[in-house]
Amino acid sequence: MYPSPVTGRQRTPGSQTSLREANRARLVDSLKQHGRLTQVELAGVTGLSPATVSNIVKELSASGVLTTTASSRSGRRAVEVALARQLGLVAGLHFSSRHLRIAISDVGRAVVAENHVPLAFDHRHDRELDRAALLLGDMLDSVGASLDDVLAVGIALPVPIDQSTGMISAPGLMRGWEGVPIAEDFEQRVQRPAIVDSDANAGALAEHRQGAARDVSSAAYVRAGHTIGAGLILDGRVFHGTRGKAGQIGHVTIDENGPICRCGSRGCLDTLAGGPALMELFRGDPRMQRLRDLLAQADAGDASCRRVIADAGRHIGIALANLCNIVDPELVVVGGELAQAGETLLAPMRHALERSALAGAAGVPDIVQGALESRAELLGCLSLAIDSIGVGDGIRFPAVAG
Amino acid sequence: MTPPEPARRLALAEGDENPERILSLRGITKRFGAVRALAGIDLDVHAGEVVAIVGDNGAGKSTLVKILAGVHPQDAGSITAFGTTTTIANPTDSIELGIATVFQDLALCDSLDVVSNLWLGQELTRSGALDEVAMEARSWTLLRELRARLTSVRVPVAALSGGQRQTVAIARALIGDPGIVVLDEPTAALGVSQTAEVLNLIERLRERGLGVILVSHNIADVLAVADRVVVLRLGRNNGDFLASEITSDTLIAAITGATDRSATRRPVGEDAR
Repeated sequence: MYPSPVTGRQRTPGSQTSLREANRARLVDSLKQHGRLTQVELAGVTGLSPATVSNIVKELSASGVLTTTASSRSGRRAVEVALARQLGLVAGLHFSSRHLRIAISDVGRAVVAENHVPLAFDHRHDRELDRAALLLGDMLDSVGASLDDVLAVGIALPVPIDQSTGMISAPGLMRGWEGVPIAEDFEQRVQRPAIVDSDANAGALAEHRQGAARDVSSAAYVRAGHTIGAGLILDGRVFHGTRGKAGQIGHVTIDENGPICRCGSRGCLDTLAGGPALMELFRGDPRMQRLRDLLAQADAGDASCRRVIADAGRHIGIALANLCNIVDPELVVVGGELAQAGETLLAPMRHALERSALAGAAGVPDIVQGALESRAELLGCLSLAIDSIGVGDGIRFPAVAG
Repeated sequence: MTPPEPARRLALAEGDENPERILSLRGITKRFGAVRALAGIDLDVHAGEVVAIVGDNGAGKSTLVKILAGVHPQDAGSITAFGTTTTIANPTDSIELGIATVFQDLALCDSLDVVSNLWLGQELTRSGALDEVAMEARSWTLLRELRARLTSVRVPVAALSGGQRQTVAIARALIGDPGIVVLDEPTAALGVSQTAEVLNLIERLRERGLGVILVSHNIADVLAVADRVVVLRLGRNNGDFLASEITSDTLIAAITGATDRSATRRPVGEDAR
């Protein structure tokens, strides 16, 4: 939810329409952040004039985006505004290496509340699931709902998940979460059904449903950040493999004699192009402590930072070429924190792919940046949850299907 | 994992003259009668860095914060802020140096509204009268930049949640445009949502390029937002760790004294030569 260090705050372009568009977006964003607000509070929070707020609220309630209710604040009459929602709610939790992102949406995928929390590097399942359950409760409270309104919860983790057991399918990757049936654990906490998948698969699902891979039936979604993974969309569906390990390109061997990886192998892509490996190159530099610093410095034109990102792109490109030779996707979508570097990362990746992948008459698959940016995995969690209750894309209401 | 030879760019290029280092304490010692609260503490803070200070009760965390805030000066040792060696004799010195301290009790006036609290003692005036409009407008600008979860700036602070009060206290510290913000136990006694709010706020302070000193008991919160963790034990340094490289177990070992500084102390920055 924070403005990315690379793109920064979005400027409002001059034209009337885009201004109105931007004002609308600002108002909707504020409601996602705060839940319900009165019009007066909306004016304060967005910085828009009360008249503008009133107009936008009128317009958006007419089109069904917002709902208004009569209320009172400090004894005065007021109009309380909230994002409209239908049917029921679903929740998405994305635990990445350093962040927990939470969103609540209705089954039409309209997000009504969103939040995020920084996490420690070696976070553990018990504490984080407890925290997520409490945060979810608070967020539901802010939109005037309760846990009973939640139909399902989708959870994504940066590790392969065995769909038959709901546990992490390879040891060593995320020690604090191993050997735990994560979905069951969370179900016990909130008493709602939960479903777990890897964040690369969740991101792939979201990019396929509503992002850059919308128009293709087979695509690979590469998530490059603290860890590297890929989600595969084959014939319009996420491909998990037997144990959920399909697409784990972070553990493709790039250098036989390379450094030892968390997974127990040597010279995995993760040890060369994963977040910690990149930051290791800047050890001792107080300005370079997080992946975000690397991206910001590269964006500011620092040559060594750009080089490090480009090298990461080249390494990922090699692993990707192997992947393309095996599953032959139509399109490659790149997401995750590193994708914010844009062409600095993508151009060397493309070059490596062209060098190593089998080129047909149509050449190699296109590589594009994800359209959903840092929210892809979170939106994928929501889609996972929606799919699990059977009212996802296409009309698949249980009553109709049965 | 065997790391490749690290590129110590700063150490090579700039040596001791590191412009990114905005605060540097060397050998800070403080006695209260027979009690030696601090015995030769070293601490460095760089711009855009969150340094957490952790330690058991009586480790000297609060004393260190009070020295930085100018509550009481140190007995020995030197303070270098923004390249010049100075003394902090009183709170005004501290503020003029660009150090803003947010104490655990927040020191807010419960009966005043958010705007009045933010500008207390530094009110904007216009031809002799308070310029409420300008103060409110600038308060909103600041709070929006921090993406604060506040819906009104004209409610008395007493009516706000713990997280919102912490936000107001931190925002007030930013009004004077400091370079370093010292937060004393900002997440103590806060709920999960409010803690999330404060942790996000600390991330945003970092993005603004401020040096943040975070004093906290909560290891999970510390490891979530800090870049570096400095452990104090019985008034001495007992380790200086990169947050990305330690586990909570190592940290607790250093706090409780299960590991000694000689074993755990890792050099950081140009000390690594």
